[in-house]
Amino acid sequence: MEVKKFTGGIRIPHYKSFTEHKEIKKASLPGELVIPLLQHTGAPNEPLVKVGDKVKAGQKIGATDKFVSAPIHASLSGTVTAIEPRPYLTGQKVNSIVIAVDEKQDELELADIDVGTVTKEEMVKAIKEAGIVGMGGAAFPTAVKLSPPPDKEIDALIINGCECEPFLTCDHRLMLEKPEELLQGIELIMKMLSVDKAYLCIEDNKDDAIETVRQKNTNPQIVLLRMPTKYPQGSEKHLVKATLDREIPSGGLPFDVGAIIQNVGTCVAIYEAVRYKKPLIERVVAVTGQNLKDPQNLMVKIGTPIGHLIEECGGIVEELAKVVIGGPMTGKAQESLDVPVVKGTTGVIVLPPDMAIEDMEYHDCVRCCKCVEHCPMLLYPNQLSIFCEAYMIEEAAEWNALDCIECGICAYVCPSKRPTVQLIQRTKPLIREIQSKK
Amino acid sequence: MVNDARKFIVSSSPHIKDEGTISKAMRDVFIALMPVTLVTIYFFRFYAVFFIAVCLVTAILTELLFRNLMNRKARPGDWSALLTGLFVALLFPATTPWWQGVIATFLAVGVAKELVGGLGWNRFNPALFGRVALILLAPLFAFVYSWFEPLNVYLGSIDVVTQATPLAMMQRGLEMPPLSQLFLAFPGGAMSEVSPLAILIGAAYLLYKKHISWRIPVSILATVVILTLIFGANPLYHLITGGLLLGSFFMATDWVTSPFTDKGKIIFGVAIGILVVIFRVGFSITEGVAYSILIMNFFVPYIEWKTSRSHFGKIKAVPVPMANQK
Repeated sequence: MEVKKFTGGIRIPHYKSFTEHKEIKKASLPGELVIPLLQHTGAPNEPLVKVGDKVKAGQKIGATDKFVSAPIHASLSGTVTAIEPRPYLTGQKVNSIVIAVDEKQDELELADIDVGTVTKEEMVKAIKEAGIVGMGGAAFPTAVKLSPPPDKEIDALIINGCECEPFLTCDHRLMLEKPEELLQGIELIMKMLSVDKAYLCIEDNKDDAIETVRQKNTNPQIVLLRMPTKYPQGSEKHLVKATLDREIPSGGLPFDVGAIIQNVGTCVAIYEAVRYKKPLIERVVAVTGQNLKDPQNLMVKIGTPIGHLIEECGGIVEELAKVVIGGPMTGKAQESLDVPVVKGTTGVIVLPPDMAIEDMEYHDCVRCCKCVEHCPMLLYPNQLSIFCEAYMIEEAAEWNALDCIECGICAYVCPSKRPTVQLIQRTKPLIREIQSKK
Repeated sequence: MVNDARKFIVSSSPHIKDEGTISKAMRDVFIALMPVTLVTIYFFRFYAVFFIAVCLVTAILTELLFRNLMNRKARPGDWSALLTGLFVALLFPATTPWWQGVIATFLAVGVAKELVGGLGWNRFNPALFGRVALILLAPLFAFVYSWFEPLNVYLGSIDVVTQATPLAMMQRGLEMPPLSQLFLAFPGGAMSEVSPLAILIGAAYLLYKKHISWRIPVSILATVVILTLIFGANPLYHLITGGLLLGSFFMATDWVTSPFTDKGKIIFGVAIGILVVIFRVGFSITEGVAYSILIMNFFVPYIEWKTSRSHFGKIKAVPVPMANQK
């Protein structure tokens, strides 16, 4: 099938060679788990345990009755030692359940359900109970995403295996090592949504993954698409445009044009939740970067501090460096290595000093148009950066600041080193404030 | 646990950045001007070296002065002032009195650039502004010329006789040198006019480095070719004379003073092409390229406003809510 190209975007060096050929390895047990009560987009969970309680691996320890939410589970058995605010990847502190991990761990008890007979309702319930959220980074509760409003007609499922951010390889390895689980997960979601077409999109820098999945795939309704390697190919809006040639309207979501998007990691988690009733207590994390002795793809228990993973990979080579959670284009730099891995953590990247850019001095816009040329939303980031810098909020709104997907290309290409994406992020809430007053 | 006494660098995303910087881009333009500069030095020897040096030094001093006066940080290593200085120099004939170069460079860097806010905020191409200001101030100089006369320096005779610019020769109906000679190298007119070939080599470098887009030069040149054909002139002579190539590839494509929209670039180029032909054919003015670009510089914000693209996901029927409230 022909893949439509979207305008804008950019080829960036992808730095994936550190981990792309390394098999997923189980990380060793950490001494302590820090499980934030809020690690998804939506309402925070209430703790279901008290300090001093013994918890078993897989036990639900936090939940809420709000609709847009996902419960959390103990990833390992142990004792709750504290329920208090702990550092979170955004830099703020988030109320978290701290568990001292038992040295002796029991096998996780798993069910084995015949996936051929489960109903839609049972599947949604299983996904909700397992606490599954989007594992590509956005962490939107999956059960909510898979229950679109009844007036929206869904005719296509898009599976995002692009992994367009540099450095990250967790989805790549998952496609290579768990293709059956992935394909069965896709079939389950198709059944839930009653769609008869699914598109699995993989960028052409992962041809081995495309080949592996193609060999395993027997279902003609699952179409493999080889996408050009171009950032931000994995953005929802651009993936829908590239596969279906449909444009999600400003402020809209994929279901507005009849599509639902799931990340490959989420598909595998969905399969495991429906088949084994396995809660989302572990995920693949690419622990990578030039400044790490031995980069790895690790299967990590949710709540493991990133410092534990860095030690597992041989530690940091040089002293001063930058540690990023997520991809280098949109991820967050960390102050502390106590920050835990959560459900949406795709990677931990340790950058060397020469790449560890600080917030640098920037200059006036010289209107070179590099950001205009590459902006995937076809905005004018040059204008936005000037308006946002000067707090000219109405002008920023007029130039469609709210449509920015914050992919970071404008700041990446800028020869004046203007932090355009940061300026736009700062302005968005101000625009919403003004618009809500009107 | 890992020792947390270490400090990590915390800054906002993206955490990787492209290596391009303004000074690298400016340096590339400087490099792109080297072929024509070398040809000009070959022809005019010390006169060219001296005049260019005067303009470069003036540019740097002017920038320092204005940045100090306006309390802005000086930008060492930024090639922007140097580049303006070189551009101004190349717009004059090599034997121009040096103090004219000083005045033009001072106006270009000081008034057209720094006074309006510095690089990025100037509405008009600084070098062209400096050059045209001197042309317009020429009647004034008639009075003071004799005062400055003692300041003129004599650097000895040069092999080539400086000739009138080929465009002026063409317009006076003089016999023209052969096209091939004009194209390769011909010592006439401004220093940048000596070799269209050298300009094209520089332009190719800029295009290769992606510092300029094809839209502006192609639309200017195509317009000039079509219109001169209509008026029955030889388009080839028009293409390679009067600084049209330098103007199209180096001046009109200036980032700061050209439109940032794709459609706008084409409109901008076509308009410049039309103006050039009007000036040359209609008024027999040899500085048509400079005037045309400066005139169109003025309209850039309007062109941008009229040609901005609609963004991804925009539904045409729904107006942008805030736009109506103005």
